[in-house]
Amino acid sequence: MDGKSLLRQYIVDPTEVPWKAGQTEGITFQCQVYLSGADGGPEAIRFRFDPCPRVYAHMHLTSQFQLLIGGAMDFPKSTMKLRPLAIHYADHKLPYGPFSTGEGHDMLVLHPRQGGLVSMADRAARRQINLVGRQLVGMDRESEWFEVLGMAGMRCKFLIPPGSGPQAVILDAPPNCTIAVPAANFGRYEVVVNGGASFDGKSVAVPGLRYVVGDEQPTPIRSGEKGATLILLSFDADAVQGGIGDDELSRAAAEAIERAI
Amino acid sequence: MANESGAEQSKNPFRVVMFADFICPYCYIGQERMEQLARDYDVRPVWRPHWLHPETPPEGAPFHQNVDRERARATAQWLKEMAPEKAARMRFPDKMQCSFFAFQAVEFAQDRGDALPFTSAVYDALWVEGKDIARIATLQEAAQKAGLDAEEMGRALRERRYMERTMNAVAAARKAGVVSTPTYILGRIAIKGWHYYEVFQTVMQRQGMLPRQQSGSEKG
Repeated sequence: MDGKSLLRQYIVDPTEVPWKAGQTEGITFQCQVYLSGADGGPEAIRFRFDPCPRVYAHMHLTSQFQLLIGGAMDFPKSTMKLRPLAIHYADHKLPYGPFSTGEGHDMLVLHPRQGGLVSMADRAARRQINLVGRQLVGMDRESEWFEVLGMAGMRCKFLIPPGSGPQAVILDAPPNCTIAVPAANFGRYEVVVNGGASFDGKSVAVPGLRYVVGDEQPTPIRSGEKGATLILLSFDADAVQGGIGDDELSRAAAEAIERAI
Repeated sequence: MANESGAEQSKNPFRVVMFADFICPYCYIGQERMEQLARDYDVRPVWRPHWLHPETPPEGAPFHQNVDRERARATAQWLKEMAPEKAARMRFPDKMQCSFFAFQAVEFAQDRGDALPFTSAVYDALWVEGKDIARIATLQEAAQKAGLDAEEMGRALRERRYMERTMNAVAAARKAGVVSTPTYILGRIAIKGWHYYEVFQTVMQRQGMLPRQQSGSEKG
């Protein structure tokens, strides 16, 4: 044993995942469970919230990326009026919200493991808030493109730049291009947001994805005939914190998400 | 220190510091946390200025019509969620107010013991009564409510007795790296921004601080 963690990967084509209706505290939505996390692996759910003026303040037990691909999500802070493509990142057990969702809302909620759902109305849960937790946001429209050196026609922009811990990078690749990606020690979602791409020979539609984690380098991504715009969302060490355990809060959080979806 | 007995706590109370600015609505609702801690624990509350808008002249400055109105609307919505009772009584000021005189008045109050009731009265003057806290008369009314000598405070402010000390306090907050309001320091642990009271209770507990009632009963 050399202590290396083997590569694990999950590939999801949204055309293969059924939609279903859900609700939490009267907030209604449609969702696709891309990855349930039931095997101890990642949890990825696509949500389309009906327009809602107040999605209650809550937290999850693991790190989380929310990738907004349609509609609007407005947090009270003036710097957090999210429009697609936008990313919202929160560390494990970091409360956020309330927020409102607008017409055409469409987002991916991405966890490295099952994250559960904890309403901040739960007073006991408030005692477990992560006081040093980070909340980061980034929007496509506020970032500049950079050429990718050595990759003709490829460009990228940082929504959450390197150095912040977790990262969010948009890659715009020309048609039929091979994109090498590094190992993802703490886990990385690679989401196709435009065009088409294939992972390990499997083509996925927009917004399909691959999740990779491990010390080994995953296979390169291949852009489709019309090129591909991808967003790469990398977790950092916070991804191994928290999670669903045997405690009361974990049980309640797991039940809450189960009830909702 | 962390595991003091109740008696030792009384002699050497645990310091809880709030870095804040009166003009910040989050600080207004955050003041409640200081009041709750002072009520429930044997602590010494200390209010320190973190000056958000030093560019505001004494007479105040107009808000940027659309941007600030939208921001106020969003903030009000958030406050309604987090502190419904306080939010119901709040009225947003029609201009950006200058906090510097109020900061000087806090120094005056601090010299006379517990400044907590005075800071609460200043918040109420701005956020509930809609008064201008850059006016000495407003600060004197707050002083009166807090049981301070309003006449003496008026003189101290007019004579600028606390100006230099206040400037030093503002500089000290910056030097300490305070960037968000409110920021609380509970013993050795910082809490940045508004938080639920349960968070404060947990932080106190983590440092061996028990609520008065509980520490009393544990002593028997």
